[in-house]
Amino acid sequence: MKKFISYLITLCFFLAAGFLAYTLWQKYMHSPWTRDGRVRAEIINVAPDVSGIVTEVAVKDNQEVKKGDLLMAVDAERYALAVKNAEAVVANKKTLLEMYQAQAKRRQAMDKRTVSRESKIDADHQSTAALADYHSALAKLNTAKLDLKRTKVYAKTDGYVTNLNVYVGDYAHTGQAMMALIDKHSFWVYGYFEETKLALLKVNDPVDIELLNGQILKGHVDSIARGIYDSDNPESRDLVANVNPTFNWVRLEQRIPVRIALDEIPEQTLLAAGMTCTVIVRNNKADKEPAVTGSMSTN
Amino acid sequence: MMDVMREWTVSGVSFPAMTGLFVLCLIVMWLLDMLFARLGVYRYVWHPAMFKLSVFVCLFCFTAFMVYQ
Repeated sequence: MKKFISYLITLCFFLAAGFLAYTLWQKYMHSPWTRDGRVRAEIINVAPDVSGIVTEVAVKDNQEVKKGDLLMAVDAERYALAVKNAEAVVANKKTLLEMYQAQAKRRQAMDKRTVSRESKIDADHQSTAALADYHSALAKLNTAKLDLKRTKVYAKTDGYVTNLNVYVGDYAHTGQAMMALIDKHSFWVYGYFEETKLALLKVNDPVDIELLNGQILKGHVDSIARGIYDSDNPESRDLVANVNPTFNWVRLEQRIPVRIALDEIPEQTLLAAGMTCTVIVRNNKADKEPAVTGSMSTN
Repeated sequence: MMDVMREWTVSGVSFPAMTGLFVLCLIVMWLLDMLFARLGVYRYVWHPAMFKLSVFVCLFCFTAFMVYQ
């Protein structure tokens, strides 16, 4: 009797251990979650639209800015002078226009014997050309005014200045990024899911995101990337295939980025683009359907 | 429902919760083993080594389920 009990106890525990181990394996390997998640944000490379010496940097490193706040200013003097010059040109062209128009009008009024037909037509054309010149000068004036306005660089969105590396006296070049502005409202998470787990998730599934500091954010699957680089076939210089002849017996699963939109962020959460996080899709799909390779349902 | 992170960080090194659970379960198992020995549980057990391994696996899997639910 004692022997029977001892068999029973041992076998019960043995079978329970086997079952639990198998179920845990299924749960761990075949549910849609990944440790490989990253917090991302839209980062705007702020560049001045005009070149010049930086005369003002209105923000500090890591400062929060509102949309429309001044970030930096480029020396405006040159552009103010350009406006003055353009105004002078406009005045010049305007005077010329008036002169040619008056000339044309006067010649039209004269009779055929005093002024030739050709002279009349030329006067007309001259006045039309002068009008075009005047409009061109006006456009140049507006461009100069725009340049002057663009010497001040404003924040295009609410966000945070980061890695500020521009100082008064630096020379700013047109279109060359001088500082990074992280869009405050654009934070999202990229979960890099193994290829085998992609079938277990779909767009709009609810998602928990665990930051390494223990905070949990809520979100949902926003979209799934539809392409990653094919490292076995990089395109050759001649636009023909260049298939890698080595092929491994054991391979690693590739990972596909899945974009997670954040819905709930707890108060006091400090999100920084680049943070690591764990992404867990809570759709319980693995509970309802058998997992990819397993037939036993998991709890 | 326990809220245990799936990623544990100890002085800047992150590792999966399973690693930590395994070590914790080893400690708990060591204590259980002493308790079982004192209570004489092993007299009612067929293969003590297999029994101990099974108890450990049950313990580990159960705690792991708590985290990976």
